[in-house]
Amino acid sequence: MTDTYSINLTRAPKPEKGTKSPSSAKRIFDRVRRQPLTVAAFFVIVFLALVAIFAPLIAPYDPNQSDYSTLLSGPTSAHWLGTNDLGQDELSRLLYGTRVALVVALGSVLIAAMLGVPIGLLLGYRGGWTDRLGSRLVDVAQALPGILVALAVIAILGRSLWTLMFAIGLIFTMGFARLTRAVTLTERHKLYVESAHVVGMKERVIIFRQVLPNLVGPIIIQAAVFFGSAIMIESGLSFLGVGLDRDTPTWGGMLSGAVEHQAQQPFLAFAPGIAIIITVLAFNLFGDGLNDAITGGVRKSPRKKLTTAELPGMSNAPTASAATLPGQTYSMGAQDAATAAPDATSPWDSRADEIRTPTGATETLPDPVEGAVLDVRGLSVSLERPEGDVVPLVSGANLSIEPGEIVGLLGESGSGKSMFAKAVMGLLPPRTRLSAGSIMFDGDQIAFQSQRALRAVRGAGIGVVFQDPLSALSPVHTVGKQLIEPLREHKGMSVAEAKERAVELLDRVGVTEARSRLDHYPHQFSGGMAQRVAIAMALAADPKLLIADEATSALDVTTQAQVLDLILDLRDEYGMGVLLITHDLGVVAETCDRAAIMYAGEIVEVGTTTDLFHAPRHPYTSALLAANPASDAQVDRLPTISGRVPLAGEWPVGCHFANRCAFATEACTSAPVPIVDQVRCVRADELTLEAVPR
Amino acid sequence: MGKLISFRLALAVPQLILVALVVFLMTYLVPGSPAAAILGTSANPERVAAVEAQLGLDQPFFTRLFTWFGSAIQGDLGNSYAVGRPVTDMLLERMPATLSLVFGGLVVAVLIGLTLGLLGGTRPGSTTDRVTTTITAITVAIPEFWLGIILLLVFSVQLGWVPVLAYTPIEVDPLRWAQGLILPSIALGVGSAALIARSMRTSMAETLSARWVDTLTATGMSRRRVIFRYGLKNALIPVLASTGLTVSILIGASFVVGQVFAFPGIGDLMLRSVIGKDFPVVQGGVLMIAVLVIVVNLVLDICYGLLNPKARPE
Amino acid sequence: MTTTTPNTSHETEASRADEPLLVVEDLAVEYESAGAVPWRRKVSRAIDGVSFEIFPGETLGLVGESGSGKSTTGRAILRLNDAAAGSIRFQGTEVTTLGRRTPLSYRRDVQAIFQDPNSSLNPRHVVGRCVDDTLRTHGVTDPGERRARAEQAFDQVGLSTDHMHRFPAELSGGQQQRVAIARALVLEPKLVVCDEAVSALDLSTQGQIINLLADLQAITGVSYLFIAHDLGIVRHISDRIAVMQRGHLVEIGEAEELFTNPQHAYTRKLLGASPASKPEGRDERRARREAFRQMHEAETQLA
Repeated sequence: MTDTYSINLTRAPKPEKGTKSPSSAKRIFDRVRRQPLTVAAFFVIVFLALVAIFAPLIAPYDPNQSDYSTLLSGPTSAHWLGTNDLGQDELSRLLYGTRVALVVALGSVLIAAMLGVPIGLLLGYRGGWTDRLGSRLVDVAQALPGILVALAVIAILGRSLWTLMFAIGLIFTMGFARLTRAVTLTERHKLYVESAHVVGMKERVIIFRQVLPNLVGPIIIQAAVFFGSAIMIESGLSFLGVGLDRDTPTWGGMLSGAVEHQAQQPFLAFAPGIAIIITVLAFNLFGDGLNDAITGGVRKSPRKKLTTAELPGMSNAPTASAATLPGQTYSMGAQDAATAAPDATSPWDSRADEIRTPTGATETLPDPVEGAVLDVRGLSVSLERPEGDVVPLVSGANLSIEPGEIVGLLGESGSGKSMFAKAVMGLLPPRTRLSAGSIMFDGDQIAFQSQRALRAVRGAGIGVVFQDPLSALSPVHTVGKQLIEPLREHKGMSVAEAKERAVELLDRVGVTEARSRLDHYPHQFSGGMAQRVAIAMALAADPKLLIADEATSALDVTTQAQVLDLILDLRDEYGMGVLLITHDLGVVAETCDRAAIMYAGEIVEVGTTTDLFHAPRHPYTSALLAANPASDAQVDRLPTISGRVPLAGEWPVGCHFANRCAFATEACTSAPVPIVDQVRCVRADELTLEAVPR
Repeated sequence: MGKLISFRLALAVPQLILVALVVFLMTYLVPGSPAAAILGTSANPERVAAVEAQLGLDQPFFTRLFTWFGSAIQGDLGNSYAVGRPVTDMLLERMPATLSLVFGGLVVAVLIGLTLGLLGGTRPGSTTDRVTTTITAITVAIPEFWLGIILLLVFSVQLGWVPVLAYTPIEVDPLRWAQGLILPSIALGVGSAALIARSMRTSMAETLSARWVDTLTATGMSRRRVIFRYGLKNALIPVLASTGLTVSILIGASFVVGQVFAFPGIGDLMLRSVIGKDFPVVQGGVLMIAVLVIVVNLVLDICYGLLNPKARPE
Repeated sequence: MTTTTPNTSHETEASRADEPLLVVEDLAVEYESAGAVPWRRKVSRAIDGVSFEIFPGETLGLVGESGSGKSTTGRAILRLNDAAAGSIRFQGTEVTTLGRRTPLSYRRDVQAIFQDPNSSLNPRHVVGRCVDDTLRTHGVTDPGERRARAEQAFDQVGLSTDHMHRFPAELSGGQQQRVAIARALVLEPKLVVCDEAVSALDLSTQGQIINLLADLQAITGVSYLFIAHDLGIVRHISDRIAVMQRGHLVEIGEAEELFTNPQHAYTRKLLGASPASKPEGRDERRARREAFRQMHEAETQLA
């Protein structure tokens, strides 16, 4: 096997030679290049800059040359954009106007950045009193209307190009200061800055060499947007007649003339306005595109169109594109969206006993389990990447839960366990989709159903508890409202009845002084109490199945034990089935009747908790047990699993665990391994695996 | 509630003092003596000195500061150099026109902005979303005053639909007041509407990807209900937080749009004073607008606290 | 795949005879928060009266739940938080009164590994640079020497020189944590504060990092203050363990002793709550927790 762990240490996989990381600037450039709109905006900016530089060469006339024979003419062959009230050529003035627009914008943004960035760095990095006082000042200054500030500056300093740049620059200074402060403040508390402190770097070095590089992106984006605003403000000031003197051609000044003479020559208003719009638009789009490239965000996928079916909460309605999974001959989702009426019967044929999983394995499906509260067969989930390729996340998973049974689904991050749960709940995130499988809940098929059909099932039958209790409750609504409303909707209770029931539920899950706490907001609860509230919400509809998705992972051990005990109590009391998704072996050991082990998108082994711990049949299960530091056996060295979990999209053809497995043979890697007799291992019958001693 | 208001008030008072201080210091930044500005260039030094003494300009810094503060609190912002009238009176009589215009613009901005933002934000990635995003991206780039010019050109000059250039005070005729506000409000509000729409879209899309939306959906609640009963309030919080800035932008833009529609507002007065170097009016105008902005922000902060329980002081 | 034979062992018994490396006495740390009016700040104590010692070559585990002050203690030792009272002595030198600028000698001797490996590396720099910057800060001016020492450090933590040219985002969580370890150990410190150093990692990766830390300790004789909420891990790596609750240190003792014979009620509660490694006896454990809870409830009702 691949373990090189002898006296020296486990080798992390070597990155391939010759694939040196491109610098971040190059990566951003590559991303920008793939955004046609940003590229177009960039070329517009370049074009404008060229016009500004070469205005004297391009312009047909001197912008201040008056031709009194043609006053206020419309477009003619001699004057393409007509003339103004002094007979000056509008086109020439427009071209020269580009100069003022760009120079003032550039100057003001530079001034603003030079003043604002140091202020923001100082405030954000020093913190304390400096920051409290300083940011108040900055806030007040920024709250003032920009034009007002500019007018005051011009009133004091008089009119000139420099005053104009300074006046507009002052408006954006506060913007830069605020942005820099905010980013610095978040960066300052990041661990890499603390690490730099611990290493002993000087503050100056930390600010300029560690923090500043992280600021460059946001500042450039902000600068691009301010550039557009600066052009707008400059044109406004010129329009008001407080910008530059009338001899200097500006777009705003041209518009001011156009208003005076709009009765005689309405055409004059159009060209300068459109010039402003195009320029501002170009800078805004460029800024947005840069933002996306730097933050790595993708706003629109160039090729793939998102349909509503792939949006949150709607993801498991059938879509037309489901039929195009690569390498798939038979897909459960292969149904035309147009023909799928909201309550259409499932495309799933319940008698089918074989499916092809997204990874290509032909799986024999287990028989439907009679009387199970949840029976999942052949479930596959796939992700559609922005680039357009489809990556399987869960492949051919089977799992059933009896009433009153607690079944664990155990896996490391990236195993697909949460996707499995979300698919069952019908809450797959955007771009992920149920690609195959049958989900029978209490005898009803809930895979590939419309949201409306699912709503009835959810409200009545499935309760859900998520990991972070505080993010699982709406922060701006009282706990009471969130508890009472579902009760009223599903149980048709009156407000008073629902309130009584809510108090009862809170009381049952161990929230003290339940009645008064109905008026509290989620942030007024501790993590453990908030999780109890979330459980109360899940219980509101007397569910037959409770899905707990890492429900105790964010809690402290003592709180975790209390919440797990509560779930056990509730199971004993109501007899519901529980699907417990966790990464913690201990949680499985303490609570589950049975468990499924998931690895890289596949369920590799299912069994009773006792069997899994004491007689594991899959090498991964055995390795996980051995790696558990909670084991009583005191060994100096923890057994480890070398390497790492393969990422979705990089799964091997054969057994997903083979490259980390001590027992792998050629048979393991040549073909997909089916799950046979509850274990997905070709050598299951011949291996004797290490287990936890009884 | 009382606590929230007193907390916010406690924050606003130092802001007011700060702004007043800065406005006072502006006097020191103006090159040349104000007395010379009043008397014109021909005045002899004796008369300049006499006027300076009369204005109290020969007093030491702190005496002047306290005198200025004392009168400012009583509403006395000095007299205009140009017309000799009290600055406060001049500003106050123009306040209704400015407030009407800003109010009209805000209504347009909020109505259009929230609608467009909701359309896109509840269905991110959809055709509706892409259409609204495109519209707002273009609208943001249109200068308010240019839109005003075009609207005026089309509706008043060409079509003659709306009475041209008529601001009527509300107490004179409410109907004509409203009519006169239609075009200016649209011109003023559309740009800010785009800003609100963009922020609402982002906020709504983000809100709807929150974990608690899943929780509520899992209780069987319909999507419409989740969006309107729960999502909206959450999504409005960041939008409200930026509304102070929107109002400030509207006030600034109202100066320019006001010129297009010949609105007799503070902007018009300020502009004349800047060009005419009538410094007390500029100073008073800056102070009054600043106070207006601070008061608006105070009100918005309180609304914010009501909407967001986490922002309430414990 | 899994190696169960012990290759090395901590030689802790021998080193315990030495003078303590670090002595923390009656340490208190305060923090400020917003008060009722904007200009009034509330001051509260995050930790109070914390005392313990760390010996050369020893690993002291520090456990407790969130809000217990265990991280604050670590940060005070790292001088990321100021001490409000008490003393921290490192090799006999008082640390709390060192002044605003911490001497480089202390920085060289006391290093840290933090929880979130992703944010503990600067996203804009290739990871090799963070080791390089560390050496440069400590006066290694020769680039060749810096590179050689960085390569050696990367090799020590099981990374190749190719990894040095990667950005943090291009490494897995385990690899990022290895880089953080390389940065901490390249200065050959005497004490490393490991603040939840493996909590963010998956089970299989956790083991790799813990083994790596143990191996490096065996080679260099470094001491660890190992802060974690996971009792299983702490028990495995620590020689002694200290338990914190609400800002106070409630119990300290030899690791096995503390696990098998806990003295303080809170330690017992903590041990009773932490999940076992096998299903046997879980009903009894549940019953015991229930009895404990009822007893506690009865107590609160009486009081």
